[in-house]
Amino acid sequence: MAETQTQALWWASESFWRKMAIWVTAGSFVVLIFLTFDTVKQITAGTKRVPAYSAINNRIDYVFDAGRNFQVPVIGVEEPLFGKKLTEAEAEAMVSHGKLTTQAKNCMGCHTLLGNGAYFAPDLTKAWLDPAWGSKDAREQAMVDFLMHPELAAHNALGRRMPNLGITEDEARATVAFLKWMSSIDTNGFPANFKPIDQADAAAVAAPVAEPAAPAADLAASADVSSTPAQQ
Amino acid sequence: MAALGMLTSANLNGGQKLAVKYFTVAIALFGAQVLFGMLAGIQYLKPDFLFGILDFSVNRMLHVNAMVVWLLFGFIGSVYWMLEDESGIPVVGLGLGNLIFWIFTLAVVVVVVVYLLVQVGPGEQSSIWLINEGREYIEAPRWADIGIVVCVLAFFYNVAATFAKGKFTNIGGVLVMDLIALAGLYLAGMYYTPNISMDQHWWWWVIHLWVEATWEVLVGCLMAYGLIKTMGVRRKIVETWLYIEVALMFGSGILGLGHHYFWIGTPEYWFTIGGFFSALEPIPLVAMVVHAVFDAGHHKLKSSNNPALGGFMHTLPQINLYTHGTQWTASHGHLAFFGAYATMVIAFFYMAIQKWRGDVWMGANLVGAWKWKWAIFMLHAGMITMVMAMLVSGYEQSQIERAIGGSTWMAYFAGQEHRWFMQGMFWRQIGGWMFSIGFVLLVWDMITIGKRETRAAYVLPTETVTA
Amino acid sequence: MLEPVKLANFFIVFFSAASVILFGAIYALTFAWSRLKNRPRLMPLAYAAYLGLFAAVIVLAWAANLFNNTFWSVIVLLMLAGYLVAPHAIWHLCVGTHAEDLHDEVVPIKVFQQR
Repeated sequence: MAETQTQALWWASESFWRKMAIWVTAGSFVVLIFLTFDTVKQITAGTKRVPAYSAINNRIDYVFDAGRNFQVPVIGVEEPLFGKKLTEAEAEAMVSHGKLTTQAKNCMGCHTLLGNGAYFAPDLTKAWLDPAWGSKDAREQAMVDFLMHPELAAHNALGRRMPNLGITEDEARATVAFLKWMSSIDTNGFPANFKPIDQADAAAVAAPVAEPAAPAADLAASADVSSTPAQQ
Repeated sequence: MAALGMLTSANLNGGQKLAVKYFTVAIALFGAQVLFGMLAGIQYLKPDFLFGILDFSVNRMLHVNAMVVWLLFGFIGSVYWMLEDESGIPVVGLGLGNLIFWIFTLAVVVVVVVYLLVQVGPGEQSSIWLINEGREYIEAPRWADIGIVVCVLAFFYNVAATFAKGKFTNIGGVLVMDLIALAGLYLAGMYYTPNISMDQHWWWWVIHLWVEATWEVLVGCLMAYGLIKTMGVRRKIVETWLYIEVALMFGSGILGLGHHYFWIGTPEYWFTIGGFFSALEPIPLVAMVVHAVFDAGHHKLKSSNNPALGGFMHTLPQINLYTHGTQWTASHGHLAFFGAYATMVIAFFYMAIQKWRGDVWMGANLVGAWKWKWAIFMLHAGMITMVMAMLVSGYEQSQIERAIGGSTWMAYFAGQEHRWFMQGMFWRQIGGWMFSIGFVLLVWDMITIGKRETRAAYVLPTETVTA
Repeated sequence: MLEPVKLANFFIVFFSAASVILFGAIYALTFAWSRLKNRPRLMPLAYAAYLGLFAAVIVLAWAANLFNNTFWSVIVLLMLAGYLVAPHAIWHLCVGTHAEDLHDEVVPIKVFQQR
């Protein structure tokens, strides 16, 4: 019955849509492959968007960039983690150990990293820069202590706490290294409106990647539409 | 031939016997998903509940992993269910298929037991190989990853070889191509890198391209078969629409990957690509609404699919900056997974039970029909309650934590403590209870439906398949 | 350049985005219903829903600062045009793909233009 009839409407025929399906799929996939090559190049560690692991030897700040109209990470003066300057290989090993720790302890089961994960606990993207650590000098040790005994600190009126995950001191220090490095990734302004911990000291002047505007700028206050994008 | 209304495997063909095994495990895992979801939900209200014993991270991991695996089992079962019917011959390599089922199930059990009892490991490679990989949705340890690929390949062999030997229908063709993509994409999630940007970049290949591309097409194939089988729609029309669907889904889905690449360190051009495809997203929705109305009038039937409504606004970067990583996402995820996938698999469960009981009557005036009606009602009402409650919480969270508070930890907790947020979480739990009751009714109904039924099913006049 | 939503416009964004979805669904639904039941009188209702959709998209685009940027403005225009045409196109496709079926079908369907 059906097959004997000629299909008059070519745009409604099965063969037309079969070809459409194949071409659309293949076309999208080819475009994706091209974009992927470029993206992978741009997010390899040691590039502008994703700095080298040795960035943990320096101060990392998060400042407003008027040209791009959002906050960007800035790698500043030398400020080695735990007071010890590492080679690139040592830094990578330490960050890697930290990342493995975040995976083995399933941090993403409660936290988000770069905004992905669960929503039971705060985002860790800029955890290194969070004002909750108090002062810049006490921060490193405070983070290690917290990671090793998180169950002792209740964080909110609800009594939501982080459980003790058996993190050793080595793992805790490596995790801090991983968090410090992660805060140096250019996330296109995520999280928005973030107010980082005060890291200024009297003498140092940062050698910024991008020219920082007023630090901790309020996005709402700077709805400067006329400025041109700095990079694209 | 056994009596009508009795569960007898003589009523099933080889592939279908295997399918009901997969379905049984799928329902058990569905139950696990509901259970651990409830535990995790309670922990939002009572943080000390099971603290240090079964923490939120463990419950949440089991909740989402059980979902991924039960849907996967449901899909595999559904494919085995239709395979002999569609190809016209017995499944090639069914013995292997059966063996793989037991291996797969055993592996799932081992993974779950390790999740429950070991939970976390030291920060070494051995932990991600043996305990858990710590990457949302694909937490399964690496050994299990390899196992999953082997199982899917064996499943692929069953499907491809059966279609190759029997009739290679258009549905079969789309299915086989889709399974290649499904297995291939999983490999993208199977390597370690210290670079979290790179990690999440490839991780989204698995998550997004599975859920928003290959799964959708797989479900499209199952639905096509279901429409021909249960509604008697003409094959040529169904297959044309299957191709239309593939074009729409892959056309919007593959580059729709862009909306996950706004904030993970990836370049800014993804704003443009992601934004463009967000604007396209409502088009398939309109297509489905119009087509459903057309079909309803045309065939006196209803073919509906609840797509991911909220996905549209959520994926504009100007808005996503505030909603990314909040309860918005949780709300969207619940609705989308349930609407698009769970309902489809449940439909196949019922198709299977009907045949299993010897094509028993399951039309109007069914004995004990209140159970499935209430089950469907409670599942949907529970889901809607949960989704709405999380929307309220998500709105509040975006406002307080992101827009006003400045996204610090203090701002996060200020948002979490807010009355609106807590009330949202409370109502979400009520929705969870409703959903749980719906689930219990569903299982009860599936066990008993058609048991005392003596009428045979109405047989649809099926056309002869044109190869 | 990305310009995040102003705090004051937060609610407007969420509300208008929800309205886009709602009006879009109503438009598609009433359009298809009117065609199916052969009731041209329902058609103005469909276009009224489209007008609502149009307004919602404009408000959303304004609140989300989409008009400050050429690319996003084009997207908005594409959305508006696409939404207007989509139900027509899909209806055509439905009729077209079911064409062979129509000869032996009991339910009469008006094949092409309504008026």
